[in-house]
Amino acid sequence: MPTSPSGSRKSVSHLAVLQSKKSISFTEKAKEALKKGFSGVNQSRMGVSRNLVILPEMKTTEKVNVPGPKTVQVLDENGVDVTPRPLYSSDPGAAKPSKLLSSQEGSLGSDIMASYSMYQNTLNPSVMGQFTRSALGSSTISKSSISATESMAEDLEEPSYKGEKLASFTGVMATTWDLYDSFDALKLSSSAGKRYAVESSSKANVLPKERLEQKLPAALTDKTSETSSLMDLENVILSKVHEDEEDHAEAIFKSDKFLQDLFFMERVLMENIFQPKLAAYRQLPILKEPEPEEPKEFSECVKVEEVEEVKEEEEEIEISEEQTIPANLERLWSFTCDLTKGLNVSSLAWNKLNPDLLAVGYGHFGFKEQKRGLACCWSIKNPMWPERVYPSPYGVTAVDFSIGTPNLLAVGYYNGTIAIYNVQSSGNVPVLDSSESPQKHVGPVWQLQWIEQDRGTTGDDKREFLVSISADGRVSKWVIRKGLDAHDLMRLKRTTVGSNKKGGEKDKKGEALISRQAPGMCFAFHPKDTNIYLTGTEEGHIHKCSCSYNEQYLETYRGHKGPVYKVTWNPFCPDVFLSCSADWGVMIWQQENFRPFLSFYPTTHVVYDVAWSPKSCYVFAAANESRVEIWDLHASTLDPLIVNVANPGIKFTTVLFAKHTDCLLVGDSDGQVAVYELRNMPTASDCGRVRLKQKTESFTQGWCHMPVSQHLRRLRQEDCECEAKLSLSLSFSLSVALSLPLLSHTCVCLKSTQL
Amino acid sequence: MTEVEETLKRIQSHKGVIGTMVVNAEGIPIRTTLDNSTTVQYAGLLHQLTIKAKSTIRDIDPQNDLTFLRIRSKKHEIMVAPDKEYLLIVIQNPCE
Repeated sequence: MPTSPSGSRKSVSHLAVLQSKKSISFTEKAKEALKKGFSGVNQSRMGVSRNLVILPEMKTTEKVNVPGPKTVQVLDENGVDVTPRPLYSSDPGAAKPSKLLSSQEGSLGSDIMASYSMYQNTLNPSVMGQFTRSALGSSTISKSSISATESMAEDLEEPSYKGEKLASFTGVMATTWDLYDSFDALKLSSSAGKRYAVESSSKANVLPKERLEQKLPAALTDKTSETSSLMDLENVILSKVHEDEEDHAEAIFKSDKFLQDLFFMERVLMENIFQPKLAAYRQLPILKEPEPEEPKEFSECVKVEEVEEVKEEEEEIEISEEQTIPANLERLWSFTCDLTKGLNVSSLAWNKLNPDLLAVGYGHFGFKEQKRGLACCWSIKNPMWPERVYPSPYGVTAVDFSIGTPNLLAVGYYNGTIAIYNVQSSGNVPVLDSSESPQKHVGPVWQLQWIEQDRGTTGDDKREFLVSISADGRVSKWVIRKGLDAHDLMRLKRTTVGSNKKGGEKDKKGEALISRQAPGMCFAFHPKDTNIYLTGTEEGHIHKCSCSYNEQYLETYRGHKGPVYKVTWNPFCPDVFLSCSADWGVMIWQQENFRPFLSFYPTTHVVYDVAWSPKSCYVFAAANESRVEIWDLHASTLDPLIVNVANPGIKFTTVLFAKHTDCLLVGDSDGQVAVYELRNMPTASDCGRVRLKQKTESFTQGWCHMPVSQHLRRLRQEDCECEAKLSLSLSFSLSVALSLPLLSHTCVCLKSTQL
Repeated sequence: MTEVEETLKRIQSHKGVIGTMVVNAEGIPIRTTLDNSTTVQYAGLLHQLTIKAKSTIRDIDPQNDLTFLRIRSKKHEIMVAPDKEYLLIVIQNPCE
């Protein structure tokens, strides 16, 4: 019967109003009756709501009770106390109608709050009805009414009642956030009740009783239609008790909030597990876990303090020792999981906006080793499972995040396809794909980079496009319009081998009419002028090209004897760039000279990757098959500063510096990306830039503060360079002929001077 | 659903995690890796604590709300993600 409960509420409020006029007090007789009544009612929770429907009985009892000033009691036919309680509700937000779990805080209710909450009641039932999600909907109302009367009974100050409040609602009083919630909820629910809600909720603490009383019935009349529908809802809920509970479990698992909570929980767990490592990464102090100790007495407490003092002293000693410890790489953690085991890490890229997000591409380099590929997005906050996983049947050879739209990730594959993913969405499907494009690459895409170019002439803002280089000899520029549109920036032609002349000239034999393409392996745009870029080819040449000319090279740098795997500009000195190749060599070039300025042959292994450090213009990292080396040109040009040897069977294939911390990421052939912290690095001095420029511009010495031995070494090198300029080919052939396993530069120098 | 299952499995298998439980609003465990009595005990106690914490936060600023609760003790760390409909509880021993 939908109408009667609401009717009962009306009359209840009326009753409450009456009561309030008279002031709430009870006779002693009533106390005992109520006591019994409480116990009775507590047991029959489900029954009470239905018994609230008793209109005529209430009226009769009202008549009975009016002369008796203090007793309010309603008894039905069986003598069970069914005194209608003012329907007040606790906060709909927090308190859950859980029989087993809700604590009794009814005893904490204050008198004032209780009486005000009574006024609050009449508005809240509808709210309560809306927000009761459990199957025991109607019982909540009854419970709330019980606790309301209990709070009213505070006046009685009967400690025995507290015992019976055990299984009642929490939050008997209307707290400030109750008001906020109800206000909020009412605002959401109906516009009609808004005015009343606003007035009553805002003035609940202040309003004199009469005004509220007048408004409440009016409010209720507006609410009747709502409450009737709510009662319907509750009846429906009642009938489906058991099914609901099962559905609830399913619903919980399907809810987005649950997934989000799981996500956060996993990150919190990771934070606990990796706290020291993450703190070292972020250069924060590391929390030391307090050792779980047995319960200690006071004397032991004192001992603990002493131990702590000793520890502090030890730490001081350690710090002073560290200053004499040489620079080293400390391994913090590695990004690896089951999915990536056994795959080769081919490329690494940081996100441009979120410095914690890393894209890793997995794919093998060799033709015969091809397996499935994977592109993953890892977050520093969760080193054990990638945030996004994009599998593919082809190996991934290049990844890069966009600058302008940082949620776009471009992935290049071994089969020449380029796919663009949106990492914000959790799906696996690329947003754009170049496999249908007629200008797609037909060879592995070895490098991808998003470039922002000023389009000053047309007055546009910086436009961003994707540049790719692949083994089919084309450098292409991709623009996202309706799909991926490509435009060739350059076709890499094979140049004649062994000529000392500057690039592009024909031999006497003449180039073949069908000029063959040279597979491109890497490129690097100039950091200051995005019109100029370098490309490294499989032939070993590095070409300087311009976006304005797509047929000719501007310059060619010859030095390497094998495919150039990586070329990269120095971020501080705009004229200097670094290259590494399969001929075991790492070379430093200066833009104006077409011979390498410095070359390093640390081992007899292929050097897969080099990278300049973002913090110092002298420091760079090189990954060859067996080790990772950190070179500091400021300290020495002969030996690397730090050498980190790989475990046997594992090759290091990629390096990437972290931008804001002193960390280096190294990818290897087992699918692990290890994060190392660079410790005790010698600090670069301020005039570092100037010095490197001097080094490159003039071949004369300039650093008087350097130790003499190194100074001499450098002089020798420079002299050697002068000669090398003329006879570099000679020295190279010498070294190759002599096939020295360790070609330190001084050896070469000496030999060339001897000649 | 499968993503939820996968994440739950991963959480359960992480280093140092002693137990994971999902309890609904009535205190009935939906998913738990501990025995029932322990689960019910944790659920009951943590529910009360969550309510108290939530009311504390909201009393200070009604527009604010509790999103996560972590209790670090000598032996474990208990992490609770409360919601209107459920409680997600994970107990971890971070020292291992």
